[in-house]
Amino acid sequence: MEPLDQELDEAELEMPTEPMLLNVGPAHPAMHGTVRCVMELSGEIIEHVDVQVGYLHRGFEKMCERGTWTQVFPYVDRCNYVSPMLNNVGFALACEKMLGVTVPERCQWYRMILGELARMSDHLTCDGAMAMELGAFTPFLWMIKAREMIWDLLEEETGARLTHSFGRVGGMASPPTENLKDNARAVTKHILSVVDEVEKLLLGNRIFLDRLESVGIISQADAISLGWTGPCLRATGVAYDVRKASPYLKYGEVDFDVPVGTTGDCFDRFMVRLAEMRQSARIIEQACQRMADSGPVNVTDPRIILPPKDEVYSTIEGTIQHFKIVMEGLKLPAGEVYSYSEGGNGELGFYLVSDGSGTPYRVRIRPPCFLITAGLERVITGAMMADVVPSFGSLNMIGGECDR
Amino acid sequence: MPNFKLDDREVPFEPGETIIRAAQKAGIDIPHYCWHAGLSVAANCRMCLVEIMPPPGRPAMLLDVLAWDKAKQEYLPQKKPKLVPSCQQAAAEGMVVKSQTSEHVDTARAAVQELLLLNHPVDCPICDQAGECRLQDYWLEHSGTKKRMRDEPIHKPKAVVFGPTIVYDAERCIVCTRCVRVSEELAKDPVLSVRERGNLNEIVVAPGRQLDHPYTLMTEYVCPVGALTSIDFRFKARVWFLRSTRSVCTGCATGCNSFSDFDPRNQKVYRYRPRENLAVNKFWMCDDGMLDHRRIHEGRVLEARVSGAGAAVPTALAKAAEILGTANADTTAVVLSAEHSNEDNYALLSLAKAMGFAGVYQSGRPAGQGDDILRHPDKNPNTAGIAALGKVSGLKSFVELVEAIRAGKAQTVIALGSATPTGSGAAALADVKNLIAISTHEGAFPEHAKVVLPASSWAEADGTFVNAKGMSQESEKVITPQGASKPAFRLIADLAALAGKPLAWKKLVELRAVMAPAAPRSVAPESASLGAE
Repeated sequence: MEPLDQELDEAELEMPTEPMLLNVGPAHPAMHGTVRCVMELSGEIIEHVDVQVGYLHRGFEKMCERGTWTQVFPYVDRCNYVSPMLNNVGFALACEKMLGVTVPERCQWYRMILGELARMSDHLTCDGAMAMELGAFTPFLWMIKAREMIWDLLEEETGARLTHSFGRVGGMASPPTENLKDNARAVTKHILSVVDEVEKLLLGNRIFLDRLESVGIISQADAISLGWTGPCLRATGVAYDVRKASPYLKYGEVDFDVPVGTTGDCFDRFMVRLAEMRQSARIIEQACQRMADSGPVNVTDPRIILPPKDEVYSTIEGTIQHFKIVMEGLKLPAGEVYSYSEGGNGELGFYLVSDGSGTPYRVRIRPPCFLITAGLERVITGAMMADVVPSFGSLNMIGGECDR
Repeated sequence: MPNFKLDDREVPFEPGETIIRAAQKAGIDIPHYCWHAGLSVAANCRMCLVEIMPPPGRPAMLLDVLAWDKAKQEYLPQKKPKLVPSCQQAAAEGMVVKSQTSEHVDTARAAVQELLLLNHPVDCPICDQAGECRLQDYWLEHSGTKKRMRDEPIHKPKAVVFGPTIVYDAERCIVCTRCVRVSEELAKDPVLSVRERGNLNEIVVAPGRQLDHPYTLMTEYVCPVGALTSIDFRFKARVWFLRSTRSVCTGCATGCNSFSDFDPRNQKVYRYRPRENLAVNKFWMCDDGMLDHRRIHEGRVLEARVSGAGAAVPTALAKAAEILGTANADTTAVVLSAEHSNEDNYALLSLAKAMGFAGVYQSGRPAGQGDDILRHPDKNPNTAGIAALGKVSGLKSFVELVEAIRAGKAQTVIALGSATPTGSGAAALADVKNLIAISTHEGAFPEHAKVVLPASSWAEADGTFVNAKGMSQESEKVITPQGASKPAFRLIADLAALAGKPLAWKKLVELRAVMAPAAPRSVAPESASLGAE
């Protein structure tokens, strides 16, 4: 049988010149959360793309303005909901900066242990999901199983698996459990073995490598000018990590490296996250060694922290302290502050404005994701349609944080 | 004006003024419990202690004390300056006073606060004062120390009924004697006193008496803690849910300035608080006035009625317009009300003018008891206001209205208000052929009316009231109109439009602009109110 196009000229076999508009998202399985990409395709090549965010906008920053400062914690929980502990600690640090107080050492170590575990949970999710979207389901299951162990630990510490609301201005909601160090060591040990296994499984896989290497490249200059931070920036070779650049808590006293990539492609971003998990494990081990087993966790200033419950029920001083903090809220001095810490995706900043009352005047969150997602257009323009999946996955856009 | 220096600020004072009063006028709050600007000085709480620096070249007055030395772990003899109660110390030119900047003052205040809470019960969750309690505020501001006393606190009588309006809790009491002084100095009835000494002391009512003078609620109002609570407000609302509006008491012709505290969620007024105005009520209000907030919600006319049966407001308005349209202008009377604001009365007066009704009369609530403190025998808030408004049209009394009705000269009557000044007149209203009542409350007028229009009370609309001294004062709207009620001036405007004689204004500001020449405003000088007392 004759081929159907036998009669046609060579010229007529060219790609049609009319570009095709393709809508991906906002509700698409590969569009982590809710983001919409309107792509102008020429064949399989993306000629233009319009990335639209905001589908998960819940007005958190505005809602923060109607409660007390402490009541902001549940909102920041729901920003990057894969590592809420980092958000909790970041917000607490911002408020403490405004108050000019520092939490006791034991609390600083505690915050670091929980924070690094949360970072591991963040990276496990991102790398696992990336592998899964490229067809590798086993690493995803292993990594999510490892993440479950982190969440079990966090549940034991905080009472909640996902949205802990565990941070407090001037300390933590409760002191560490007795098993914290044992559990943390056991969990990190398991995670390190998972990271090793995942490496063995994926880094020898030709398909996996071909889909990541030299895909979704962003230059150092572009990444910096877009305001990228975190693993995505470090993948381009810039060793900027808030924990090193302007150490907070006890990060200045622990020994860890900042892994960087070379080309800024999807593969580098994948590998930076894997390497960071190993560094987190180092930090956790050092923190476990140095954290005291007893001692105060919270500051003692009655204007800041809630009193122990037995005092509330038995003494008038405790009752008054409880009443003032709960009903009027702790009062941050009038003024403004910008405080930043290393979140799961990069520099998580809080810009707070206080009018001196117990209610925030303005809470502005600088989400690392928002700026990174702004670069998605540059990353995937000119790429093949199929490259969108690993590129978008490696940016680790978290809807809750990006849209707030 | 001479000045003295308080911390780092120059504070002006009038000769003879105390440090604390001068500071308060300058907007600086020196912590205090027993001092009140309107009462005599007791200087017993010791919270307002300040350090006064010795004049140049003179030695400081120092006390020998034993102070705990942390390093040596023993008490060592030391000297510290003698602190002075700023409520009692008169300010002097060039005096240097340290309040927030002196560590001795800080220590003293913390100690006073700790002492006051020594035997205080754990009552905040069930105490009406919580949220506006000095003990709470000052503990956090000036003390912040935990309980050090291990002993069982002293127990004293709780929920002692002092009289028809006040309940006393001796355990919460810090014996600042403000209530004692209010009874003696404001009410001129020294019915309260202090018995026992030290941590056993408490406030008692004179034997054989009750706390029942006309200013009992002021004892509760000045109480800086939750010791005295008002039976009217007890357990009704939590203060942090309440919002305040600046209003004027409509209980009598004095026109005391007040705050109306209401809950925005259920639109209910829970209490009045006096608002400081030295020209009218100084710092105070009487019991009748304080409890007058109940009338906002009690005995109200909340729906329109036609011939005694409930009706929609538009239906009632249409019926009223029909009555006015067919009425003979010569036998139609208009009744202004001293219960209502200038705005309402002016609107009715405008309607009367537009329709050509000749007779303008007045009504209001009957007179009651007065005294030479605050209470005025005239129980209407705006008698002077309608007198000024009705001057041109020849305002006639309610007695003359009764005569006119009996003589058949007032067959159609359109009346603002609810109550009549005399009981006998109420019966005469039954003889009116067509009575239209624009009423806030049930009373003689709505009872005999053919058409009743539900008017909003003073708390549901902005209004201007002129008190017995001729001071014109604005009262702000507190809550939204209840039921089907509308502000009376609005009902009258609707009625005028339906009767084919639309009035010249649409909004309240326009009404006030038109009204201005008829009701010259001599606004009472309003002193800066602190509201915190």
